[in-house]
Amino acid sequence: MASYLQPRVEGDLRSILENRALLHQVADALGSPLNVVLPDQLARNVQGFRDVYRAHRLSGGIFFAHKANRSRALVRALAATDAGIDVASLGELQHALGAGFTPGRIMATGPKSRAYLWLAARTGVTVNADSTSELIELAGIVSAYGLPRVPVMARLSGFASAGTNVMTRTSRFGIPVSRLDTLWAVLDKHQDQLDFLGVAYHLDTVGLPEKATALDGCLHAMDEAHQHGLRPRAIDLGGGFGVNYLADGSQWEAWTSELTGAVLGKRSAVTWNGHGYGLRNEGGTVRGTLGVYPAHRTTAGPAYLDRLLSTESVTQRRGLGSLLLDSLYDLHVEPGRALLDQCGAVLLRVEEVRDDLVRVAGNSGDVALEQHGVLMDPILVPRSARVADEPAEAYLMGNLCLEADLITRRKVLLPGVPRPGDLLAFANTGGYLMDFSAGHALMQPTARTVAAYRGGDGWRWCLDEQYWPVAGREETG
Amino acid sequence: MRYDSVTDVIGDTPLVRIDAAVHGLRNIDLYAKMELFNPFGSVKDRAAWTMVRHRLAGAAERGETVVELSSGNTAKALAVIAGMHGLPFRSVTNRMKVPEIKDLLLLLGAQIDELPGRSECLDPTDTDDPLTRMYHTVSADGGGYLHTDQYFNDLNVQAHRHGTGPEIIADLDGRAPDYFIACVGTAGSSTGVARVLREHDPAVTVVGLVAGKSDFIPGIRDIDEVHEVGLFDPGVYDTIEAVSSDEAIDGLLTLVRRCGTLAGPTGGGAYQGAVRYLRRLDAGLTERRTAVFIVCDRVESYMSYLRERRPELFQQPARAHSLRTLTGGDLAAARTLDVADAQEWIAKENPLVVDLRSPFAYRALHIDRSINIVDDLFGEMLHGGLPFGRSQPVLLVCPVGEKSARYAALLTRMGHPDVRSLDGGVIAWRDAGADLVRD
Repeated sequence: MASYLQPRVEGDLRSILENRALLHQVADALGSPLNVVLPDQLARNVQGFRDVYRAHRLSGGIFFAHKANRSRALVRALAATDAGIDVASLGELQHALGAGFTPGRIMATGPKSRAYLWLAARTGVTVNADSTSELIELAGIVSAYGLPRVPVMARLSGFASAGTNVMTRTSRFGIPVSRLDTLWAVLDKHQDQLDFLGVAYHLDTVGLPEKATALDGCLHAMDEAHQHGLRPRAIDLGGGFGVNYLADGSQWEAWTSELTGAVLGKRSAVTWNGHGYGLRNEGGTVRGTLGVYPAHRTTAGPAYLDRLLSTESVTQRRGLGSLLLDSLYDLHVEPGRALLDQCGAVLLRVEEVRDDLVRVAGNSGDVALEQHGVLMDPILVPRSARVADEPAEAYLMGNLCLEADLITRRKVLLPGVPRPGDLLAFANTGGYLMDFSAGHALMQPTARTVAAYRGGDGWRWCLDEQYWPVAGREETG
Repeated sequence: MRYDSVTDVIGDTPLVRIDAAVHGLRNIDLYAKMELFNPFGSVKDRAAWTMVRHRLAGAAERGETVVELSSGNTAKALAVIAGMHGLPFRSVTNRMKVPEIKDLLLLLGAQIDELPGRSECLDPTDTDDPLTRMYHTVSADGGGYLHTDQYFNDLNVQAHRHGTGPEIIADLDGRAPDYFIACVGTAGSSTGVARVLREHDPAVTVVGLVAGKSDFIPGIRDIDEVHEVGLFDPGVYDTIEAVSSDEAIDGLLTLVRRCGTLAGPTGGGAYQGAVRYLRRLDAGLTERRTAVFIVCDRVESYMSYLRERRPELFQQPARAHSLRTLTGGDLAAARTLDVADAQEWIAKENPLVVDLRSPFAYRALHIDRSINIVDDLFGEMLHGGLPFGRSQPVLLVCPVGEKSARYAALLTRMGHPDVRSLDGGVIAWRDAGADLVRD
């Protein structure tokens, strides 16, 4: 028997997941899969970050990364707090404006279309630019439509480290710090269109040294901006503060050891087809790196931010938080996942139980555990109360006719053998794990399909779903 | 003793008996193999030298860089040896958590590459982790690297098979010890020594010590990480046990304070793990037995590690004029000024304005004619007394007026008659639209 990976479930989320009757009632009414979001919890999470700001005497915006969940309720709940929102597409910007965010509380990030830039400039939200060409395009729009100056931040990348060489994955976003001169030139040229607020970074890593190096680099860039006569006032250090998904660190340690043992062939498989999650056996030695989200983290969310701000700058030998404060800069952050901690759950109904295979009404796109490498057990919500059972191991199959459609490739552990009609609740899936097909989550348009056919004197077309072989194409009469 | 080169001093380390009054074992003689006496300070000197000595000339000819995935002592030894032979050294690691070791390596001229952390948003299609990619780069023939590959290089084991192991037997008058206890890092020393001892006497019991999974003891791997080591063979050990960082520090303190052995945490862990293991057997023994453990390196490099985990070990006597001694009454007595009053006071009395922020921030923008003494430094100065005369009025400023208020309280208590703090700090000053300058 492998180890449990019991999800960490707290507060309201625990309360609702213990309400068996309600969960079955709502799933019966609306079907499986079903997402449940808890908007009130979001406000409490904002407060958790605000407490860290207060402890470091810092001010600035806490911008929720909208793409972490496309729920209306969550965004509207957020609009009622003092937090801001980080939008990454035209659709998200429209949504944020419609949900009650005033432009001062919206930060536009991500790759930007002209329409997205125009709406951002038109409404006066802060544009967090990925490149100097984006700034030039924005300035062109501002000037062409006679719009007021737009507040802008510049995302930087390629930070150099002092002392040791802190390596970072290459990013396709951001202006390399080695080419800041072009940034200053663009800002100088377009000072009537662009109001420079400061610099930003967002690194896709859980590694603190990389983020500290980047923040240090931003402080130096701000200094350079001052030397160029600019008066920047904020640094945006993005997100990536993480969530701790598991209740018990020792279960995580035990399971990862079991996986290592299984990869080495020293015990039975704990994953479908002996999948190693990045580990492989080379002549009795484990090679590779465990490619999963660190599901148990002792420092996550606000505590991670606190640690980053308490980290000393290598070049200035003073805490990064103190340096921000000394310089009178606002601190902006863009947490997504961390703000949605304990904010939601996905319910999947059990359809069939066949030995250790459990098929559910939903697929790996409905609860994206595998896509994000988050490993945890579901909570069994039986249809009717039953006496204590023996723990059961199971692989969870989705409702797609694809070998690849497993909810998770890890064999999960349940308190008893599930029965058809039971619900499996995946806890704490609000951040990126719920209904995350990237296009939908980011409110990007998905491809429409048209049917093209010859008719009359040339090509004709109609929407795919409106096509019938008979519809109005024969000449009658 | 006269040598031609410092590398000739590697090995032949003493075996020193630990006083029974310290370890309390009645039937077992416990010996420490003093690897900290190697010239670069650790057991890794042996492996490093053995792995590169025959390749140095060729590497120098081809202008190669010595490279190793090491976070500590192997890197240290290789950095010294590479430097002696005019070669650059590069250490690639994601495990270097001890700042003194980083500094020491930089001092030795090493380049340290820290591997990136895990991705926050995983890319499931990215199967090649950074470490594997690095391995490919440094292992390629003609790639410009002399890769010592300590986790997979059999010479690492050979260094101990021909050095450490035979030395122990010789010092025990030709006998192998009954118990050999070693922490497992690269598994080189434990494997090499165990092989020689077993060849000599198959009855030797070999105990491998690893760290708990969420724990961290520099130089020891945890039970999963040992499987990533090519040299690790579970068959070498009769038993593998975990030691905690707490136990390692307890052991270190015993060795340092009671045995005159300036051991680091790995040696401490080996001692504590050895005593814990042997104590279970000791009472049941009817004849004398011998046990040997390895003291890998020295304590000096681990001060910040120890300070973080046992701050009480470094308790400093209370210093005079410290912020920590301020009472509520002191704070209430501190005088503060809001921005408007401060502007008026500056114009009238021309006080000395002291900006307690970082020089970096001060340089960007500050109150005109203020001077900059960063708060840490200011605090240090005050331990010695007032840094300006009593007739000189002083205005202290910091970002939000909190630190400056505390320093104003302290200076007032120290007898300064007219020191004030800017309420709300430089941020309030800026927000009120008052002038800030950049010289």
